[in-house]
Amino acid sequence: MNSQKIFFVFLLTLGLSFQAGGDLWAAKKIKIVATTNVLGDIASQIASDHAEIYSVCSPKRDVHFYAPTPRDVVKVKKADVLVHAGLDLEAWRGPMLDAAGRTDLMWPSGARQIDVSQNVPLLEVPTSLSRDQGDIHVYGNPHYWPDPENGKIIARNIADGLSRLYPEDAAAFEKNYTAFASKLDESMKTWLKILEPYKGRNVVSYHKSLIYFTKRFGLLDDGELEPKPGIPPTAKHLAELENIMRRDNVRIILKEIFYENRTPEKVAKDTGASVVTFAQAIGDVEEAKDYISMIDYDARAVAEGFKRAADKP
Amino acid sequence: MGQDIAQEIAGLKRMIAVLDSNVEVLKSTVRAQNEIIERQNSRIAVFEVRQSAVSVPPPVISPKANAGFNPDIGVAGTVQSKITQNKSDTEGNNSIALKEFELTFGQAVDPYSRFDATISFNDHMEEHVVHLEEAYYTRWGLPFGFTGQVGKFRAAIGKQNLLHAHQLPTADYPLVIQNFFGEEGLSSSGLRLKNNIPNPWDLPIEVTGEILRGNHDESFADVSRRPIFNTHIKTFFEPSADTNLELGWTTMFGTVNPPLTIDDGSGTTTEWIRPEGTDWYGVKVYGADATFNWFLPEGKQVTWQNEIYFQNRPELVNSINGQPWGFYSLVEYKLSRRFCPGVRFDYVNPLDVSGRHGTTSVSPYLIFWQSEYADVKLQYSHTVYAGGEKTDNAAYVVVDFLAGNHKHAIQ
Repeated sequence: MNSQKIFFVFLLTLGLSFQAGGDLWAAKKIKIVATTNVLGDIASQIASDHAEIYSVCSPKRDVHFYAPTPRDVVKVKKADVLVHAGLDLEAWRGPMLDAAGRTDLMWPSGARQIDVSQNVPLLEVPTSLSRDQGDIHVYGNPHYWPDPENGKIIARNIADGLSRLYPEDAAAFEKNYTAFASKLDESMKTWLKILEPYKGRNVVSYHKSLIYFTKRFGLLDDGELEPKPGIPPTAKHLAELENIMRRDNVRIILKEIFYENRTPEKVAKDTGASVVTFAQAIGDVEEAKDYISMIDYDARAVAEGFKRAADKP
Repeated sequence: MGQDIAQEIAGLKRMIAVLDSNVEVLKSTVRAQNEIIERQNSRIAVFEVRQSAVSVPPPVISPKANAGFNPDIGVAGTVQSKITQNKSDTEGNNSIALKEFELTFGQAVDPYSRFDATISFNDHMEEHVVHLEEAYYTRWGLPFGFTGQVGKFRAAIGKQNLLHAHQLPTADYPLVIQNFFGEEGLSSSGLRLKNNIPNPWDLPIEVTGEILRGNHDESFADVSRRPIFNTHIKTFFEPSADTNLELGWTTMFGTVNPPLTIDDGSGTTTEWIRPEGTDWYGVKVYGADATFNWFLPEGKQVTWQNEIYFQNRPELVNSINGQPWGFYSLVEYKLSRRFCPGVRFDYVNPLDVSGRHGTTSVSPYLIFWQSEYADVKLQYSHTVYAGGEKTDNAAYVVVDFLAGNHKHAIQ
């Protein structure tokens, strides 16, 4: 038998294995794939032991620029439900779904996808679209999950979506939602108290990704290290920003873990501000073990940042 | 008289008291009504917020809405400047040229499928060329989970052959790809089927099978005699939370030209005679690829990519080398959002050079990203050609820019 024949026999065997392999996936639990681990955590709170969760974007990575791996594609291919942030947060979601070939998970019409941005009151919805404004988002700022009130909306959407797909478990999802929302409400009182002394204070961030958090807790955004969204900092812009920070007595710079440290530290040194690492994903910092502990870390880190800056000369 | 006045005053006082109590009742009624109105206003406000949120996404300008059912459109331009020591007066040496201007289209065709197309314009060589780089139709959800594609596409050979010019980390394709599959790699009409092999461990094992039109004259026939068969299989590992490794294997079978009759102009003709049957899929190409990624803090990343190809071709019609082979190894370090230095080492024992001689090249490069949508690549290449008789030093400056909707398949 020559090599070509061996090759075609191999292909035939391979083809047959796909049919045989189908029985291996007899699912007992709902297989949920979430595009980020924050959504994965909230989905696990709602679905509890009814589901097994796989989160695509790893912690400490910029969710805008994540490159899905072959493992992600396999997980999506086998998923019962896709939970995603909607809007245009995950630019890689389309190619990932194309690779997985699951039309029922595709946005916006796929029946087995849950878009958790539904009902979120969006900020910064653009009135015109041009890349001369940088990497702006078509539908509005998609970094809405650091606001705990939006966390509740996300949970509500997941509970509703799962109830639609699995009505037999709807009561359990509703009960889990209520418990999660109560926990969030309870924690919210603590976070409001922690940040109450800093209401009305100005902050600067690296990327325009924290506005939902700052708005919720009464902090004022005074600018970003990026001159425009997605455009790396320039010397000219930083000089202007430092003047604004001095004028407005900005005492903290918020940055996500995946941004470089050098620029924020230099600006902090020049202006007497303090740099605070802000967690946007579970696992970005050790303390962020789930959604609630992530927000808890962020609230305490911001408060600590203000205190640290106050101690500076 | 005085008594009457006193009685009248007392009556008026009673009336005032009654009026006072009526006013109090009215006041409490108004307060209650106000509370109801306030509650209703709050509910209306909540409904209004919900109503506006329900219509998410609510952009003032929706590009989708404006575009209707038209395809998403994007452009990608690559302008290349090159200075070389090569003394031959060849188009492309010491030049600046729009190497490629890609116009991309893509849109869902129906709930089961989509199309993607890339039309490339270039001002690179002797002529202004319009070239259909890719135009294919994708159908998802075929039996057993297969995805099918028909049309013209970049063949699934290793890693870099799948990339468009502006996606390359370097100014040019690796030498082994250029020599075996053409300066821009192999893009061909055909049929592609793709799937993952199911396994209980969720190990990604992706198989791609392609039947390609056979008119590819670098390694195969220059006329469409028989199709080329290509398969690529790849798997993926994550040794740690910060690293991953992708391994792939390519197998191709193709045909070379039918027997040739060569006339040297003096009336003497020579016919190439081959052993019977050796022109039937006589060209076999085998390749392996390995890509290692290491994700470092602060968005930094190290990538090490390697591809090696070997050909077994008893036919020596359009080459004189029966067993050409070659590889490249590329290492790059993305040290910030702006800068990524790297180096590529190439070796190829080419199709047109027999014996053990090979061409080697070392190409250090630097990528500067102005933004996500525009970058500049600087590259120096030192090349020693097969046989060691010729060397070349070349410098490249490449400017890439993107606009509009631009979507690339996952590699």
